[in-house]
Amino acid sequence: MIEFEGLVKKFGERTVLKGIDLKISAGEIVFILGTSGTGKSVLLKTLVGLLRADAGRIRIGGIDVTDISEEDYLPIRRRCGMVFQHPALFDSLTVLENVAYGLMKHERLSLDQARPRAHECLEMVGLGGQDLESLETKLPTQISYGMQKRVSLARTVAVGPEVLLFDEPTTGLDPVTTKQINRLIQELSRKLKTTAIVVSHDMDCALEIADRIVVLDQGLIVAQGSVAEILRSTHPLVVDFLVEAKAREVTA
Amino acid sequence: MIADIGRCFLFCLEAMDVLRRKGVSRREVFHQIWRVTIQSLPTTAMAGFFVGAIMTVQFTMQVEMYGALGYLGGLSTSATVRQVGPLLIAFMLSGKVGAYTAAELGTMRVTEQIDAIRCLGANPFQELILPRMIAIIVSSFALLAAGLLMSIAGGVTLGIFFSGINPDEYLRHIPTIVGWPSIATGLFKCIAFAIVLAAICTYKGYTATGGARGVGRAVVQTAVATMVSLVVADWCTSLIADAIVEVSLSVFKSGAAL
Amino acid sequence: MMGGRTLNLATGLLVKTLDFSSFAAQSWFAAVRPPFRLRDIVRQIHFIAVEGLWIIVLCVCAAAMVTILEASFHMRLLIQNDAMVPGFAAMLILRELGAVVMALLVTSRAGAGMAAEVASMKITEQIDALRMLGLEPIRFLVAPRLIAGIIAGATMSLIANCVCLIAAMGVSILKLGSTAGLFMSMSRPFVTGQDLCFAMIKGAAFGAVIPLFACYWGLRSRAGAEGVGLATTNAVVSTSIAIIIIDFILSYLFSYFY
Repeated sequence: MIEFEGLVKKFGERTVLKGIDLKISAGEIVFILGTSGTGKSVLLKTLVGLLRADAGRIRIGGIDVTDISEEDYLPIRRRCGMVFQHPALFDSLTVLENVAYGLMKHERLSLDQARPRAHECLEMVGLGGQDLESLETKLPTQISYGMQKRVSLARTVAVGPEVLLFDEPTTGLDPVTTKQINRLIQELSRKLKTTAIVVSHDMDCALEIADRIVVLDQGLIVAQGSVAEILRSTHPLVVDFLVEAKAREVTA
Repeated sequence: MIADIGRCFLFCLEAMDVLRRKGVSRREVFHQIWRVTIQSLPTTAMAGFFVGAIMTVQFTMQVEMYGALGYLGGLSTSATVRQVGPLLIAFMLSGKVGAYTAAELGTMRVTEQIDAIRCLGANPFQELILPRMIAIIVSSFALLAAGLLMSIAGGVTLGIFFSGINPDEYLRHIPTIVGWPSIATGLFKCIAFAIVLAAICTYKGYTATGGARGVGRAVVQTAVATMVSLVVADWCTSLIADAIVEVSLSVFKSGAAL
Repeated sequence: MMGGRTLNLATGLLVKTLDFSSFAAQSWFAAVRPPFRLRDIVRQIHFIAVEGLWIIVLCVCAAAMVTILEASFHMRLLIQNDAMVPGFAAMLILRELGAVVMALLVTSRAGAGMAAEVASMKITEQIDALRMLGLEPIRFLVAPRLIAGIIAGATMSLIANCVCLIAAMGVSILKLGSTAGLFMSMSRPFVTGQDLCFAMIKGAAFGAVIPLFACYWGLRSRAGAEGVGLATTNAVVSTSIAIIIIDFILSYLFSYFY
């Protein structure tokens, strides 16, 4: 489904990604773990063309997207739904308009025509029920951060992507909401049969729902494999992550 | 600095290209026009009034001793409409519209909203930049013209209170000096200023980086860049307009001679 | 219905005016009481005055030159004599143009930047963080900016006026066929210590208004990209209008001294 081949990304003098080789097959849930500033988010943004690679190739669904124009990228981006770290909701639009935005642009629907689908998506992320009426007319700044994240997820799901990309989906959330969001990621990717790539530094979540875990350090992949394989890994960084996760489990 | 001019130019070309290939939502454009016009009307009206007023004061002092006070209306209106008005009103308008647009687009950029638009498969030029550019050009032009009208009101008011002149007489003498070349020159300048303003503030907002501080920086840079560009545009348009008026007048004269 | 709406608008305006008055009073109170935050004040003076000084002076000069050229063009048109133009131009620059245009440009640069900065601080909860550290925003943020604005305004007014007079002389010599001596003797009666002093008072008054409005709207900014944009525009609009009103009032007061 998605292939990175010797991907290199530089910012001025600093090389952030130093040759990433990674293959992700359809339907997988892949966690990319690493400490802050190791280029996890950069990897995602390069995948959807928000940043352009300096060397190496990227293929999405067999199409080489490394050098295609911004114009040709648009339909491909539609197939890759990105959920941003800070929800990046359009703060001049209501919740409903945010979710319906992609539909209105792509299928030239009016807001009323897009409403059923938008409701469906809001329900899918757990925002359904009787509050929906009052919620959909609110502005993003009037709802809680956890809710903003969900709305952002609903907005992404609404255009029907084949790949879901999450940039630190649980950062800044309380443990309960974190759990809910995690479950949501799992459910959604099973239900919609999408591939999911989650960038995170939360080993707990990864161990819980990932099919595969990739650990990134200093712009290189230092370990990858299934949950069982990662648990057996002896790489110091991976061990640190695991110990940290274990410690939290014990205190909990 | 030079690189910035080039990048701004490329930015505009890109916008034109998107406009040609994909068009733009008419509703969004009208929405933006409405917003810009409504928000900036008080400032422009005030600026226009002020410019008209000080030009009247200036000319009153000069013509009074020649006993030509009757021509005051024509003199001050002509001077305002041709040159002084467009430049001064554009300075004010640029502060208002430029700051707002740069701050809005800059905030959208640093909170990743622009990236979100791109990720939903939409083109930010088509969705954000073009409607704003077109709206700013259209409404700045309209606002500048409205400001020039307002300058006449300012001139009349000061004419009454400062120069003690009858408003009828003031208004009656406007057409004797203000001809079509003056008005055409003024409007030509308004269009040029509107384009300069639209290009710079959307470009600076769209390319903002670095969090809340970056937005503030974009706003300040927009103000500085527009001011300088307005002065440059003013010189250029003066030259062009004068040349056109000269040429057309001489053509007109030779035609009359025949 | 209509009446209710107008009433709402009127009450809203009244509430805002009262709110701003109390804010301004608190700021003045905080500004005149020691301890003075010298480091902050100097940094703000640098931001308001030093960084944009030459660009603003350039723009004020452009405005003044255009006014002179226009005045002479029209005087020649009407009475074939523009000998009086330089003298009155010098007077216009000192009494009106220099300080007001300078202040309007500072508003769109520093005022807008300041409002955007404070608004961004507000919506990212930095203002609340300051409060939690026991730093009252009016004391800590507004007072230094107010003092800096007054000092910067007075100084910039002086510099802008002086450079503008030199530019006016240049234009008179090059374009109006005047000479340096003639310009000086013509403008001598209008360029006295008193005039410069008045120009500086105007500059200081405008300089005080700019940070007050910028911080007022910034501190009351609503969340989101539109909130910051709106705070910026509101600041620019209310400052520009306030500057023009204050200018009329001060000019009226000063006219008793001439």
